[in-house]
Amino acid sequence: MSTVFADATQAKGEAIIQVEGMHKYFGEFHALSDIDINVGRQEVVVVIGPSGSGKSTLIRCINRLEKHDRGRIVVDGIELSDDVRNIQEIRRETGMVFQQFNLFPHLTVLENITLAPRQVRRVPKAEAEQHAMELLERVGIPQQARKYPGQLSGGQQQRVAIARSLAMKPKVMLFDEPTSALDPEMIKEVLDVMVELAEGGMTMIVVTHEMGFARAVADRVVFMADGQIVEVGTPEHFFTSPQEERTRLFLSQIL
Amino acid sequence: MTETWTAPKATAAEWARRNLFNRWYNSALTVVLGVFLAWLAYKLVVVLFGIDYEIIRRNLLLFMVGEFPRDQIERPFISTILFGLAFGLGAATAAASARHAAAEADLAYAAPTPRMLVRRFWPLLALVAALLAFTRTVMPTVMALSTILGGAALYFGARGMPRSMVRWGWMGTLVLGIAAFAVIIVGVDGGWNAWGGFQINIFLAIAGIVIAFPFGLLLALGRRSSLPVVRYLSVTYIEFIRGVPLITLLLMGVFALGFFLPEALRPGPAIRVLIAIVMFEAAYVAEVVRGGLQAVPKGQLEAGQALGLPAWKTTRLIILPQALRATIPAMVGQFISLYKDTTLVNLVGMFDVLEVALVVNSQSDFIGKRLFFLTLAFAGVLFWVGSYTMSREAQRLEKKLGIGER
Repeated sequence: MSTVFADATQAKGEAIIQVEGMHKYFGEFHALSDIDINVGRQEVVVVIGPSGSGKSTLIRCINRLEKHDRGRIVVDGIELSDDVRNIQEIRRETGMVFQQFNLFPHLTVLENITLAPRQVRRVPKAEAEQHAMELLERVGIPQQARKYPGQLSGGQQQRVAIARSLAMKPKVMLFDEPTSALDPEMIKEVLDVMVELAEGGMTMIVVTHEMGFARAVADRVVFMADGQIVEVGTPEHFFTSPQEERTRLFLSQIL
Repeated sequence: MTETWTAPKATAAEWARRNLFNRWYNSALTVVLGVFLAWLAYKLVVVLFGIDYEIIRRNLLLFMVGEFPRDQIERPFISTILFGLAFGLGAATAAASARHAAAEADLAYAAPTPRMLVRRFWPLLALVAALLAFTRTVMPTVMALSTILGGAALYFGARGMPRSMVRWGWMGTLVLGIAAFAVIIVGVDGGWNAWGGFQINIFLAIAGIVIAFPFGLLLALGRRSSLPVVRYLSVTYIEFIRGVPLITLLLMGVFALGFFLPEALRPGPAIRVLIAIVMFEAAYVAEVVRGGLQAVPKGQLEAGQALGLPAWKTTRLIILPQALRATIPAMVGQFISLYKDTTLVNLVGMFDVLEVALVVNSQSDFIGKRLFFLTLAFAGVLFWVGSYTMSREAQRLEKKLGIGER
């Protein structure tokens, strides 16, 4: 692995997420190999790479949707271990937005958003609903609060999913290809919400194929291939003068 | 190219020529089959209208309630009316709650009209009318009319209830349902061991599925548990029970339970049979629920986990509501199958409707008259009406549940 800067895998300020020497296997398949990456507070890290390169697996390990096999993952001072309390603690501080939205189809938009705060944080119903309405306001669809996810467009559903994650007041947001399942005309409305979130100082790790977003918002871009981090750098360096042959090949294919 | 082509409406003659007489051999087949069907229909009419229904008429009460104490016979009548009311109030409450939910979410909700209900439940109404034609006293007619009209009145009267009343609607339904059972248990000589006839079949089917459901749910969850002990125990139970015929379990329930338990603790035959049925059904319910659990996408579980919900809350609040909704049609199918299987209890000495259909043929007036076909067909019709109605309702529900989801 080479990097644009010697310490590009290290966050500039204090790190909120530390991944050290992490490995992940699916059976015989070595999905992630010796991953080292730190993310600082209020930093936006965009992860790109060909499909099957382990981008999604990386962020899914951070909130323990996948169990890593070796190495260390520390989120906000809590090390991820088999201790269920640690896992729950980390998941509460970490929001996740999925490619397929994964809204709860049997609950209304408002119920989707208030479920976790009420059940996990014991927020009273009225307070949770008020906060949910503020969040819906922020993602631009307060009028859909009483509807079911099935009645909304894909872009609206994804914005609800973002609001649902934000309702837990997470310190970190993980985005797993949030716009890949959307029709082209709906991608922008979701990206706009994400840009606003980044500008508001949210710490974010975003797996995406939206290079425009990476260029505009990312503090650092991570390029992965074959389960390894190939190159890390600022968007400017990354898109104009990539160091690695593998990176140049990937960029030439998508740009 | 904007015109759409529509098939010209075929006349009956054209339709027949195209579908029945399009080749010489099809024409021949049509004629032969037509003659056979006409003969069959003729025989059926002759039998239906020419037969003496005395054996049914005289034993109608026996068919319905077996040897329920005749001096307390008003109790099953009151119970039926209470069930009708419970059903009406339950349906009204369900309709009201669906209407409120739909209104919240701007979804269309169409309330069924009386006409639609008659079309949905005509087999049931026709059966009731046919049964009443057999009666000679006014009591049964009063009961049937009170049940149907009372239930309908409660349904149409109460379905407009405001949201705040929904909770009380369910409470009332439960109270009426319990009262309906209490009337034929409490204060009856012999309690529910006095039950018989069609009543015991219906009771065993309803109680069987209701009691088996929570056990089945736990078994299904146990089968997916991450604890190997729980998983293996669940799988072993489910696979063992599913590999054994119901009749074996019934015989075990009747003989083995009596053998292992001391005299004082030994339950009556109705309870022993019910225990066997619940053990049997739990395994099948577990498999139905497992199907529902598998129908919930993995992303739902992950979304719950990612939000920091504990595992049991994810299961209870996210997975189960979706899984159980998906199992309703299969669960109705399971219930129909159990409903028919309850006739097996006559093999362990219960006086159920099938047993009645058999023994009435040995009454002195009917012995040797070869009326088995009639009494058995009558019992069959009783079951068919219930099964057919339920399966149609399940289909309707299946279609309805497709709306407003995903």
